[in-house]
Amino acid sequence: MNREGAGDERTLRIARRYDAVDDARRFAEKAVSSCTPECREAVRLAVCELGENLIKYAEQNDATEAGTIGVSIDGPVVRVRAVNRVSSPSDAERVAEIVTQISRSGDGVRELYRARLIQLFQNPTLPRAQLGLLRMVFEGGFRLSCTFHAPELQILAERACGHHA
Amino acid sequence: MSLKLGQKTTVEALTVELVEPTLLKLGGTLSTPTAQAEFRKLLLDLHANVVSARAQLFSVDVRELEFVNSSAIRAFVDWISRASHAGYKLAFTTNPAITWHRLSFSVLKSLAADTVELIEDRSPRVESGKPA
Repeated sequence: MNREGAGDERTLRIARRYDAVDDARRFAEKAVSSCTPECREAVRLAVCELGENLIKYAEQNDATEAGTIGVSIDGPVVRVRAVNRVSSPSDAERVAEIVTQISRSGDGVRELYRARLIQLFQNPTLPRAQLGLLRMVFEGGFRLSCTFHAPELQILAERACGHHA
Repeated sequence: MSLKLGQKTTVEALTVELVEPTLLKLGGTLSTPTAQAEFRKLLLDLHANVVSARAQLFSVDVRELEFVNSSAIRAFVDWISRASHAGYKLAFTTNPAITWHRLSFSVLKSLAADTVELIEDRSPRVESGKPA
């Protein structure tokens, strides 16, 4: 697993229960308490969306943990890292494809987000919203990358970090 | 969650108040499955009431709704879809100082421009979510 740039990362183990998203939100608020409101808002969004994904889609096994969420501030950059074990390489490939598509969209991420909302608007029975990663880039201003070294999948989100004076 | 006119209800960190028969006020944060489920049910009930009353416009004040997860965005999409089919308008009052309001509501409006009206409240605030 590539942990380059992890630095002084604070890590939270996400329990395999739905209210663990609240734990993640509180963890994020502490980790970036010195940052600007905009940065805190973005990190809260990233941690909640990634945390919820971990709980929903982590490998189904007997482990009590769904994965980990890490937050680090490295000078002008804040990083949020989600790591979990996946059941099959095809699951990881699907996530990697989504991350690649979003990353390549650049300034077109609004259109990608809108296209997904139109799909949901026209097909209310679609089982998954799949908006979390899109919102992290569109609303949160994050850049996303993804690595897979079986069985661990890592999603890394990075953005500029503003600190309070 | 059943709403009574003028009574503020709380589901975890989410606050909901039916201020008038066609004005809903939302506040706090919406990120847990329990709040999500209650929120979706609330929107279904409100939709049924609007259709039953043959109201042409329903207003939603989200200025104090600080954070929502993606499930809530989807709930708004579904509500807009139902309103569009039923032929009534949804008017959202937003706080453009909150990033997700500024960015996501403009995209939500683009889904059904004839159905969604946006009112951006740019009045100064003394603290997050509270009018000065």
